[in-house]
Amino acid sequence: MLRGFASLLILTLTSVGAFCAERTVDADSKRQEMLKLLADPLPSGAVTKHGASFYGPDNLYEYMDGGADIFVLYGVRTLMHADLRAEAVEVTVDVFDMGAPDTAFGIYAAERSPGFHYKAIGTEGYQYEGMLNFLQDRYYVKLLGFGDGADALLEKLSQLLSQRIGSNPGFPKLLAKLPAENRIPHSEQYIPASPLGHAFLAPAYAVAYKADDREYKLLVTVASDAADAQKRLKQLEQHFATSGQCQPATELGEGAIRASNSFEGSVLAETKGQYLLLLLNPGKGSEQFMRNVAAGLE
Amino acid sequence: MKNFYWNRRDFLAKVTASLAASPLLSRANFFFGQSGKSAPAPAGAQADAASKPIYRTLGKTGVSLPIVSMGVMNADVPGLIPRSYELGIRFFDTAAVYQQGRNEEMVGRMIKEMGVRAKVIISTKVVRPGWTRDRGQTQERAYSTAEVKAHFFDIFQQSLKRLQMDYVDIVFNHSADSPADVTSEGTLEAMTALKKAGKARFLAVSSHQPEMALKEVMNLGVYDVVLIPINYTMANDEGLLKTIDAAAKKGIGLVAMKTQAGGPVRPDPKLGKPLTPASQTALLKWVLHHDAITTAIPGYTTYEQLEQNFSVASSLAYSREEREFLGDKNTLANAQFCVQCRACQADCPQGVNIPQLMRTHMYAVQYANYWLAADTMRAIADGEGLAVCKACTSCRATCRNSVNIAQKIEHLKALSSTGILKA
Repeated sequence: MLRGFASLLILTLTSVGAFCAERTVDADSKRQEMLKLLADPLPSGAVTKHGASFYGPDNLYEYMDGGADIFVLYGVRTLMHADLRAEAVEVTVDVFDMGAPDTAFGIYAAERSPGFHYKAIGTEGYQYEGMLNFLQDRYYVKLLGFGDGADALLEKLSQLLSQRIGSNPGFPKLLAKLPAENRIPHSEQYIPASPLGHAFLAPAYAVAYKADDREYKLLVTVASDAADAQKRLKQLEQHFATSGQCQPATELGEGAIRASNSFEGSVLAETKGQYLLLLLNPGKGSEQFMRNVAAGLE
Repeated sequence: MKNFYWNRRDFLAKVTASLAASPLLSRANFFFGQSGKSAPAPAGAQADAASKPIYRTLGKTGVSLPIVSMGVMNADVPGLIPRSYELGIRFFDTAAVYQQGRNEEMVGRMIKEMGVRAKVIISTKVVRPGWTRDRGQTQERAYSTAEVKAHFFDIFQQSLKRLQMDYVDIVFNHSADSPADVTSEGTLEAMTALKKAGKARFLAVSSHQPEMALKEVMNLGVYDVVLIPINYTMANDEGLLKTIDAAAKKGIGLVAMKTQAGGPVRPDPKLGKPLTPASQTALLKWVLHHDAITTAIPGYTTYEQLEQNFSVASSLAYSREEREFLGDKNTLANAQFCVQCRACQADCPQGVNIPQLMRTHMYAVQYANYWLAADTMRAIADGEGLAVCKACTSCRATCRNSVNIAQKIEHLKALSSTGILKA
């Protein structure tokens, strides 16, 4: 019996070891792939100062302190960090592998501001006060430069990194299906967890609009199917019924609601297949807007 | 050999009950210095959000605050701010680095829309130049006092602009984790000037090295407030507890962060099972049982978490479920985790990187994440890793909290011998 147990133990440990070896190889190969982004030659003869460091969700806080949590919320897999030097310029390079293009877009969008100077790098990028950040595929790349000539080096480095990343699936496909008219530029978002502070609405895409001095926001939550979308609508209804007021919005169709409370303002909501559509701060023309949204998602 | 191949779900369900064995329950400092308030909560005594919150005064500042405030840093939901205010929260903490300034913009916009600037306390934080770089590496570029001062002014002005405010109530020297950070001449010159100009009412420091920071602050006599991590895993750290009390007696206002030790953010999302509400409120109450702490700033991101956290503000009496969570004996030996204070390293004659080995242990034994454990161990510098531990028959290092270092080193040696972890 003891021999049998020992055999089983050895088999188990071997299997675990093989599994872990496979996982370790997988992690190693991903890192090797990321390291290729910083292979020589780099622009302006830039060199890495100490070699690259890698961080995962469990220790990212050591690098970013409290700023790490939002990256974890958005599903970060790995951060590759390196410091470069090229003559008088020093550059900090942070390449976040967010696991998927949508989550990379999500964290990129969470940090961008309409006031930044946007550039055609990767899917999109911006430059602002010594930093140049861009989005491409599942990567969110953040560059920070110091010294004379830093901006020019960041520009060259970002183009090189983009070229080396290669694949560029662009923005999340769903965003293209939403109305373009009156859209506030660079306001699109992808929110993987607790959109609008409600866990049951995850994940969701959001876009802000402005017309006639009124700003409004569209949130499209992606449920697993139509039944799940209906369930989410019911939960939303219950939330507003408890915290404010809620009534049917028959002008939109069966099941649609018009609701409000003191801290979230007014919303219109309806389902369209697997999507739950919410319009925050509705006003004149909102019903037609919602019909346009629903039509675009068909 | 003890079976320490834990199910991670079990561990994470009890993640910060690391000191919850009955010997600690019987100690006065289970209530973090308070005794006589340990009567079980009568049925129905759980506070609801509408009850009047407990207020405490923030050291010598004279500012009176509810004991639960809002750490805005993870929140990207504007509605949380007015809802927090509605419930009774009056202190909102943000920082320039959170979401690259978007967090400050949100706070500023909402406070302005609500028209309540004069009724709330707003804090923000400024980092020193070079802070974003890898802390483990030597900073090759030194900054002069003048550069540090100019940098602080520049960042702070940007914060005021994003906040749409003329002043903040508290400005933090952000993440000051060494004596040099706390006493940075350029930073102090800038902060003092801002206070004199009326742009910051009170000066503060935030740090992940609480005992060090508090001692430096008490020596300096310049800072009014300190933001430090405090949670249940530190209950055995008598040095820290005494320092906290000493700082409070000197009139330093104390704000607690990381009170729920990561809460719902850090657990592995693949688990799909969040920590129970009782665990979150239990942990928060445990911190706030110490009168020296004025307020805590949990970082909530949903309305549910807000209501859960703020329910603590009006009653610190434990419910049965909260007591059960805190009193779970089975987690004591296995669920301790290292807070990376590095105090143990002084005890090791071989110069082993004990904190990194403790993290390796956590990944391997408690998370069952062997590849991350192997990775973590491989990152240890030559001559500082597990192989060096073989020179000692057993580990002599002592944890200032509750971690059984010797036991964990033995676990790692055993794991390493199976080939799962290559030392």
